[in-house]
Amino acid sequence: MKISPLFKKAYDNMRPGRITMEGFLGDDERTLTDIISEDEKEVKFLKMDFEIISSKLKYFLNEGLKGLGEPLTVDKKWLVRVDEARGRLPCPFEDKIVNKKTVYVKNVEKNLDFFYSDLSIHLIEAHHFFEGKGSTFRLEPSLIKQILEI
Amino acid sequence: MEYKFLFDSLVIAGISTILALLIIIVDSIVNNYGEVTISINDNKKVIKAKGGSSLLTTLSAERIFIPSACGGRGTCGACKVIVTTDIGPVYPTEKPFMDKSELETNTRLSCQIKVKQDVSIKIPEELFLIKKIKARVEKITDLTHDIKEIIFKFNEGVDFSFKAGQYVQLEIPPYEKIKDFTQRAYSISSAPKIKDKIELLIRLVPGGILTTYVFKFMKEEMEFDIIGPMGDFIVRENNSVMICGAGGSGMAPIKSIIEDMIDNNIKDREIWYFFGARSASDQFYIEKFRSYEKILPNFHYVPMISESESGDRWKGEKGMITTVMDKFLKTKIDKNAPREGYLCGSPGMIDACVKIMKDNGIKEENIYYDKF
Repeated sequence: MKISPLFKKAYDNMRPGRITMEGFLGDDERTLTDIISEDEKEVKFLKMDFEIISSKLKYFLNEGLKGLGEPLTVDKKWLVRVDEARGRLPCPFEDKIVNKKTVYVKNVEKNLDFFYSDLSIHLIEAHHFFEGKGSTFRLEPSLIKQILEI
Repeated sequence: MEYKFLFDSLVIAGISTILALLIIIVDSIVNNYGEVTISINDNKKVIKAKGGSSLLTTLSAERIFIPSACGGRGTCGACKVIVTTDIGPVYPTEKPFMDKSELETNTRLSCQIKVKQDVSIKIPEELFLIKKIKARVEKITDLTHDIKEIIFKFNEGVDFSFKAGQYVQLEIPPYEKIKDFTQRAYSISSAPKIKDKIELLIRLVPGGILTTYVFKFMKEEMEFDIIGPMGDFIVRENNSVMICGAGGSGMAPIKSIIEDMIDNNIKDREIWYFFGARSASDQFYIEKFRSYEKILPNFHYVPMISESESGDRWKGEKGMITTVMDKFLKTKIDKNAPREGYLCGSPGMIDACVKIMKDNGIKEENIYYDKF
């Protein structure tokens, strides 16, 4: 399959040491197109859509910011903490620059947790990209569904 | 047939080798900038170095350390220097970090500009004092489930001088998927009187490269490079009432400042220190600061929790740091006395506390902070 220049550039930017030290692909050896299309199928199978996922992720980011750097309980069910670091990160698709924020969310009832970044929200919303398998910031759609109860 | 295939393969391999050699030769000619001269602060220091690397890397090799939180990836915007030589326009990777006045003074990110020609730069004088020193982990103590107190001991004879409130950069080696050395900035939590060791408070950040290393791999007796001291978050010497606020590992510089005042017998200054955490189990150093209240008669420590957990026997203040600080500014702290703010924490916490302080009549120019 022919790879578009945009995807080729994004794939290069996702390698370790380009934008982040660890990169965005983990140890996933699939092409960027395959990673995205397989996750799109998974999202559909789980009866979710990207708009709902990104709006939920934004909701917990905004609620977590109210903790002013400390964890706080959201809607009596989730423990949320937002860490902010100095600086900004460009999207590997080169269409946005975001602040460096990490959101930790724990569903206290289910004792399940995960974390994501400002950039994760944009990558999911705009590019349907959850990162490659094995990447530290990879978000599994099934885990999102379980933890955020979408 | 087989001979022809072998011959074709050899021809292709030969052409590839020649092309690769040509690329190496062209690269060495085009990117060979020879020796370049870097003049710092009107020739106060002049460096001769091999051209072609970033200004940040070139200066670091000459043991001049420009603060950088991202290790030169152009994502933190910390490594700014003023370039007085014309080296061309600001790159798109630099622009998001520059305000109007910085663009006018030709401020650049030293990690983004390559040294290809002789260049003159201006940097703050105190950067000449920054050292890179080896330090051994002497002791690691868990303060809470996600904050560690780590004491680093320098080698014999090292005299590490710093001002209370300053920070250092800790460097860790590659590990697991991380292939490069990584540096991150941490405020010093010990007092400047102690010169053979420093204490840092490190909080685990989910997915954080350095903090993950600290929590998974750092052990006592291991040796690391520490670069510093850096920063201008220091106490202004006057008689203003100090209103301090911090949360989590933001405790570090304020602790150093209070302990420095004890060491220097500064007992007459009024200090209020508001320290926020979510629950009682997230609070630490309470007994230590209660003992400081006995040494400094005008020091008031106000720890608070924002949420109770079952079993909490918390009898202190409850609420967000902004709520408690606002209450004290309105009811307990003299409104007519000159007041100064000292804040360390997340950008969100600092912005919220600055607003509370301004709403209570503290001038913005008298509020000092150290955003993570």
